[in-house]
Amino acid sequence: MIFELMIALTVGAAMFGTGLYGVLSQTNLVMIIMGVELILAAALVNLVAFWRYLHPEEPAAQMFVLIIMAVMAVEMTVGFGIAIARFRSRGSVEMEEARELKG
Amino acid sequence: MTVLTVLLSLAAGAYLIAVLEGWAVHGRLQPARPVISALALLGRESLLARKPDRLFFEVGPVLLLVAGLLAVAVIPLAPGLIVTDLATGALFLNAALAYVLVALIMAGWGPNGAYGMIGGWRFLGQFVAYAMLVVMPITAVALRAESLSTVDIVMSQSALWNIAYQPLGFALFIAAAMGLCWLPPLDLPTAPGDLAGGIEAEYTGVRLAVLRLARMVVILALAGATVTFYLGGWLGPWLPAWAWSGIKILIVAGLMVSTGRLVPRVREARYLELSWKLGIPLALINIFVVGVIALVVEI
Amino acid sequence: MIVPMIFLVFFGGAAVWFGVVVFRTHSMVRSALALLFSQTAVGLMFLVMQAEFLGVLQIMMMATEMSVMAIFMVMFMMDPGGLGAMDMTHQKRLSLWAGGIGLGAALAVIWLADWGPAGTDIPGAAQQTEDLGRELLGRSMLIFQSAGLTILTAMVAATMVAIAPAKEQPK
Repeated sequence: MIFELMIALTVGAAMFGTGLYGVLSQTNLVMIIMGVELILAAALVNLVAFWRYLHPEEPAAQMFVLIIMAVMAVEMTVGFGIAIARFRSRGSVEMEEARELKG
Repeated sequence: MTVLTVLLSLAAGAYLIAVLEGWAVHGRLQPARPVISALALLGRESLLARKPDRLFFEVGPVLLLVAGLLAVAVIPLAPGLIVTDLATGALFLNAALAYVLVALIMAGWGPNGAYGMIGGWRFLGQFVAYAMLVVMPITAVALRAESLSTVDIVMSQSALWNIAYQPLGFALFIAAAMGLCWLPPLDLPTAPGDLAGGIEAEYTGVRLAVLRLARMVVILALAGATVTFYLGGWLGPWLPAWAWSGIKILIVAGLMVSTGRLVPRVREARYLELSWKLGIPLALINIFVVGVIALVVEI
Repeated sequence: MIVPMIFLVFFGGAAVWFGVVVFRTHSMVRSALALLFSQTAVGLMFLVMQAEFLGVLQIMMMATEMSVMAIFMVMFMMDPGGLGAMDMTHQKRLSLWAGGIGLGAALAVIWLADWGPAGTDIPGAAQQTEDLGRELLGRSMLIFQSAGLTILTAMVAATMVAIAPAKEQPK
């Protein structure tokens, strides 16, 4: 039993649960993006914990963290780009009002 | 022990810079002035705005002070006289200074006042302008030193100071540093002319004293960073090491607080345009040139 | 052995607590800054786990990202200060169940799995940074380059989407 790894992973799981709750329950696009950021942060915790306690000799594990950070940046950029476009055309980024996006 | 020495020299430096700034603003050299105004601020009533975000209002100045102190922690004043010699010191300096932005947004949003809020968000725009220009010159410096540790960066300049090795990077870094500690002509978040004090507008008494002190610490941290990265840190002939770094930091900080006042204030849009269309290409050229020199010549 | 565990529990607790605050506070700026402090606590956890470069990087990047987040919150929300105490949630029960099941499943895997022996020799901070650099510009260069290119594409595309459409000139 590697207790430190367990603790770090538990924190990751808790952040993932919180983020999932946020993504599903919030009605505002920006708040949904915040939930996604939390989920990605949980992934970061897990990756660093795996690197530190299971494979400390492998720098590729750290590289994954950098890629996830890049994903976070991309997700924010694209999300806010869409948010601005939507706010400009509809005057709101409430997802309840975005029924027409439904297929 | 080291921490105490650094803190004491920081206090002395903040006092001297305050005297110098008073001289630059009012044209008279008054050594007692910072003490008197600090005492006056401490004695004055601390007003609270109506319906403030109390948490941010209180935390903002303190976070600014903490960010400045953390940035100072990785600046070497002499061999061995550094609070913590991190292997990623140069990056850590950036990380600490990024919280200046957070602190100013908190301080601007907290008091529930229009001027303060505009000042805080303006600093976010300013951040977008200067952020890359702080990081990219440091990249070139680390490229030469082959290390992110500030001590190694100073040691790498024993043959030739970086100001001669990469003058372009030095110019960009100092311009960005002026933006980071919102000194004129880039004092957009406080802008005495059009924002009535901006983020400082709603602060009084002890909180304002903390805010002003924190800003002095940030200025000193940036002067220390400039000296570490470009002016050879503690290196110099004849005098002891701590005296050299002290003199250099004071000169740089003095120039930073005084010369900018001779230039008219830059508009936010203009500043953004300049840094992204001119500054970032220049910074990339700087990195490229330094890389080529580092490969070709052995200095 | 016990000291890093205490720090991990402390910073991990802070990260989760601030993460919960994000969705509980009414003030949008507070919400964004709570997310920032959650991410900072994650960065501090990295430092505890001796990943110095990544920890400092996380602390630095998130300060910027979340400040930008804060201004977008103020831009797009009807009630950024949270003085009106609006309810901005839907399908709460479903979300709680989903979050709870996700958490429970992850916890079960974490506490039931056999993780094998722990790695022992952790490289020093300077060595880690160097290894990471060699990894990025060596074996993983293609991945790293495509990540950079993805960011560039996203930046250009997002700007294109966000720019106001030009008004058509009357003929």
